[in-house]
Amino acid sequence: MQSKIKVIPTTLKVKDLPPTAISMSNMLFNKTGSWRNYKPVYDEKLPPCNATCPSGEKIQGYLYLVKNNKFAEAWQLIKQDNPLPAVCGRVCFHPCEVECNRNDYDESVGIHNVERLIGDYGLRHNLRVKIGIKKKQQIAIIGGGPAGISAAYHLARMGYKPTIFEAERQLGGMLQYGIPSYRLPKNILQKEINSIIKMGVKVKTGMRVGKNLFIEELAKKYHAVLIATGAYKERNLDIPGEEARGVIGALDFLHEANLPRRQAGSGKKPTISKDVVIIGGGNAAMDAARSALRMGAHPKVIYRRTRNEMPAIPDEIRDTEEEKIDFIFLAAPVKVITKNNKTVALECIRMKLGSADSSGRRKPIPVKGSNFRIKTGTIIKAIGESPETSFIPASLLKDNLVCTDKWGMTAQNNIFAAGDAVTGPKTVVEAIGAGKRSAQAIDKYVRTGKVTHTEIPEVKPVRFEQLNTAYFEHAPRVSMPHLEFKQRVKSTKEVYLGYKPNEAITESDRCFSCGVCNFCDNCWVFCPDMAVIKKKNKYEFNYDYCKGCGICASECPHNVISLVEEKK
Amino acid sequence: MKEVTTGNHAVSYGAMLSRAQVIAAYPITPQTQIVELLSNFCATGKLKAKFLKVESEHSVMAASIGASLAGARAFTATSGQGLALMHEMIHWAANGRLPIVMADVNRSMAPGWSIWTDQNDSLSQRDTGWIQLYCESSQEVTDSIIQGFKIAEKVYLPVMVILDAFVLSHTSEVIDLPDIKLVDKYLPPFKARDMMDMKNPRAFGGLVTPDFNFELKYKIQEAMNQTIPVAKWADREFKRILGRSYGIIEAYKCEKADTILVTSGTITSTSRYVINQLHAQGKKNVGILKIRMFRPFPAKEVVAVLSKAKKVAVIDRNIGYGVGGIFCQEVKAAFGNEKKHPEFFNFITGIGGRDVTPKDIQGIIDYTETHKKPKEDIIWVGLRK
Amino acid sequence: MRNEIPLEENLNSGHLACPGCGGSLSMRLALKALGRKTYLVLTACCWSIIDGPFPYSAVKIPLMHTAFETAGSAASGIRAALDILGKKDITVMAWAGDGGTFDIGIQALSGAAERNEDFIYSCYDNEAYMNTGIQRSSGTPWGAWTTTTPESKGEQKKKIMEIMAAHRIPYAATLSPAYPEDFIRKYKKAKSIKGTKFMHILSPCPPGWKTSSEQSMKLSRMAVESGVFPLYEIENGTKYTLNNPTADFKIKPINEYISMQGRFRHLNKEQIKFMQENVTSEWQRLLRKLKYA
Repeated sequence: MQSKIKVIPTTLKVKDLPPTAISMSNMLFNKTGSWRNYKPVYDEKLPPCNATCPSGEKIQGYLYLVKNNKFAEAWQLIKQDNPLPAVCGRVCFHPCEVECNRNDYDESVGIHNVERLIGDYGLRHNLRVKIGIKKKQQIAIIGGGPAGISAAYHLARMGYKPTIFEAERQLGGMLQYGIPSYRLPKNILQKEINSIIKMGVKVKTGMRVGKNLFIEELAKKYHAVLIATGAYKERNLDIPGEEARGVIGALDFLHEANLPRRQAGSGKKPTISKDVVIIGGGNAAMDAARSALRMGAHPKVIYRRTRNEMPAIPDEIRDTEEEKIDFIFLAAPVKVITKNNKTVALECIRMKLGSADSSGRRKPIPVKGSNFRIKTGTIIKAIGESPETSFIPASLLKDNLVCTDKWGMTAQNNIFAAGDAVTGPKTVVEAIGAGKRSAQAIDKYVRTGKVTHTEIPEVKPVRFEQLNTAYFEHAPRVSMPHLEFKQRVKSTKEVYLGYKPNEAITESDRCFSCGVCNFCDNCWVFCPDMAVIKKKNKYEFNYDYCKGCGICASECPHNVISLVEEKK
Repeated sequence: MKEVTTGNHAVSYGAMLSRAQVIAAYPITPQTQIVELLSNFCATGKLKAKFLKVESEHSVMAASIGASLAGARAFTATSGQGLALMHEMIHWAANGRLPIVMADVNRSMAPGWSIWTDQNDSLSQRDTGWIQLYCESSQEVTDSIIQGFKIAEKVYLPVMVILDAFVLSHTSEVIDLPDIKLVDKYLPPFKARDMMDMKNPRAFGGLVTPDFNFELKYKIQEAMNQTIPVAKWADREFKRILGRSYGIIEAYKCEKADTILVTSGTITSTSRYVINQLHAQGKKNVGILKIRMFRPFPAKEVVAVLSKAKKVAVIDRNIGYGVGGIFCQEVKAAFGNEKKHPEFFNFITGIGGRDVTPKDIQGIIDYTETHKKPKEDIIWVGLRK
Repeated sequence: MRNEIPLEENLNSGHLACPGCGGSLSMRLALKALGRKTYLVLTACCWSIIDGPFPYSAVKIPLMHTAFETAGSAASGIRAALDILGKKDITVMAWAGDGGTFDIGIQALSGAAERNEDFIYSCYDNEAYMNTGIQRSSGTPWGAWTTTTPESKGEQKKKIMEIMAAHRIPYAATLSPAYPEDFIRKYKKAKSIKGTKFMHILSPCPPGWKTSSEQSMKLSRMAVESGVFPLYEIENGTKYTLNNPTADFKIKPINEYISMQGRFRHLNKEQIKFMQENVTSEWQRLLRKLKYA
């Protein structure tokens, strides 16, 4: 009587009726769906973190899995988009956290901290990704930095066995030689690279383009070639005395500082003076200053604008400040003072900020007659890099960058390019994203001879105002355990120690799950009409009975349910 | 077992012997003694029942309805104002087809305050769907309570057992208290209808649209129609098992009567006394028709007895204001489609607890015998004009 | 996941509640908590209609419709019958609106509470006679428009919880469907206690409050957060426990709660200020009872 529809005819005779008003059936015959003016629909939307991740990680997805203690599944999900989660969890500038809607509530979710734990979990448990059906086409990748590794990884997942040609002795590019080990321990990088190599990626090191490797030849031998040579050509200061001994480039400095002693070309760490000066306000400047500190120096950073305009990521600036490194803002170098071609001081000029330039930052203007000198034996230049393009055919270049379409294809059909070589110096994660996209394009190209362009309509990510925050509790971000100042300066040990699993679970639980259902049950529990059916991994509306009150939509914390006007 | 008892306590004994399971009660003179004794029975374990001391008569009936619906044999008692306060729930009980038995000690309605008898309280409930039994003695009271459950649980209509205030409720007489084993044989335990089964739950009393309500109301009348044969059967069964019988009406010494008094309640006893004297004197042309069951009204049975008489004197201890005695109206209406009917005399007496004496009854007989037709629509007896 | 909410449904779809009805959701939650072995008593109220007309019913448990003023007494009778028949495991729940509780039914309720009858009395309070078309009751708040207070209600809402506390019944609680875990917990607790349990549920009514249907839970929440309808429990009439989700015994201003409802649209700033003062002083009074103030 309670679960079946049974209509009692109004033509019932007296003898068939009960003696008094006692019910004979239930109300299920009454399809209240016909009352509806608005129809709720499950309509998942794009979370801002996913929308902004250059490598397209499904961040909300892995946070949800971690929250439910499913670390292996989280690793598998992250690996669909990013081959290097343990690396990115450490070095990524995490724009996802900037866009995180939780910023408008209390603090953003510590996404990179969770990502790091997931990456480490995968390494510790030796997790493997599934590899697709074997493909025969041969693909050459020039450059074993983040873009090249990413492309190789994604191609390997698809079943290719690509070959990476690397100029240095080890893969990793900037990750290997540019980022200090207190930020990215070498063994983590190596393990993550090794796991990719095990997927069937061939590696040839010591292969330098223009020296023992030629793009045109590769293009003939291989079905496709990817140029992922990065940007490591240091920019010059263009000031007198720059050629003096004691003036070095940040990348060279970091490269040498990063090499284990036995591998370094000179056989020993670069020598710097105690009063080393670093010029620049980007990540390389921070890394150089902090590395110098760990070598026993008292570095000073000179930057021509103020702290607000520094291009380094805020976390890096904060860490550098924590390490008590001096900053001299609003100062620019004008001359290296030398003695016997040896650097003895740097002459600078005070700057003031003018109106905004093309980068949107206020332009520094020299203050006449404000010159001053800083005594120093070593000057590290960290004012930016550019790609080395001298060995790349001119037909593929434009403005000293490799020119491609948005899928990474150059003017020559089977030559693709990705990463800093295309964009100029950018971040690790952008290179990883570019590697992924070019792998997809190469796959299409080698199988079909062309890359089809499907336009993906732009989807606006969910905004904070679209969430129902009544269901979110204020919770501080789980702090990341780290070494104290005294421990930091003594060694090159990793500064940040990583979350414990329970901390990662707590942190993941802070995720608002913007636009994505996380089975909070609100729609189900608040429906006055039992018109939301709770299934194993989803909810369904029973439109036979849904009256369209809209409570489900307004109580969905995640903005997953939309109301659509009924056509009557 | 013989017992000296008041009419009120006779009610209590009837309920106890019927093994009532839920008794909701509220005190009101002249009924209070009924529930006092029942409360005592419950306290001492003589009766295994839940005794609910609720806060009004309205709640008494609401609780009784709930109890009956949930499967318990429910009994209560009230009087006058209390019955009037219950009125809404009186309808609920009948429309809900719930076999509740209630004693009503007739009490005149206020204002001004009265605690004495007349029938206007119970007769105000005549169209609610309750079966009404009017009693003349304590013995009949006890037996009617027991019979009341028998009838109620057969036809699923509530039963009101009615007795006069003080004249019966507070006067003592010897009654024969039935053996409870025999009562058990007569009245098996109450089995509620499958209304509130937890396995097949249903809703009771919801909104009824015009699509169905007409039929449901018809069913009450249908049950009322069944009640007359059922009540006769219940009375026969009572006779068989417990040795007494009352009939739904009783024609007393009417064999040679050309004048018949129509009576109810204790006036019947007073009339019996007068008629017995007349018959002893050899005057056998006067008899009595006692109407015990007023609802449903046993019209056929009444007509069968009265059609032999030339004159009928209906004695009403009640008044339908603007019309006359209510029993008289019903008796006249019973003859509505008959070709022939006796001359009807409507006597109204004893209102507000005024004593009705043998002299009054004799006066009624004298008036009826000396008049070919009544001089007035209502003949007031004992009224100071 | 709301794991504390039982999956069991004891109410069927197809019932006749208006879209966004707080009373139907409250019934759904209450029946989830109480389970199938429950006997429901409904007095005249919206639910007399919501359950559906004869020969239908929307609930999956036995249900007795009874007269307006008889929730307390009819439930007493049912309880008595079930007890005498040995069916002590069946929970009896009376369910009435504010009219049936604050006004016409208060006598029977008070009687039952004084006798400490063993049943749960639920008052789903939508703050007016909504079933008859929005007439004021003694549960209608000060300032509300109804068809019988066409300008504004000039009297304060009756303090029903204090009345019930004065009966020293073992358990009384305020509930809001916007807090389903609290709601379920309280019903389960009520079920486990012998004696009279009084559940006061604030139940948003879109047609009566002149609000849009999707805002019912938001309104419920705001009523709680603003202290208009704080969540608390009273044990044995004296021991108060606050369950309000608001932190540090603070309440939010009533302005948004008031401004969302058409029934308060006519109120000016001074009147809203007056309402706020009342809410604040009632909140303070409650805190004093909690001995937290």
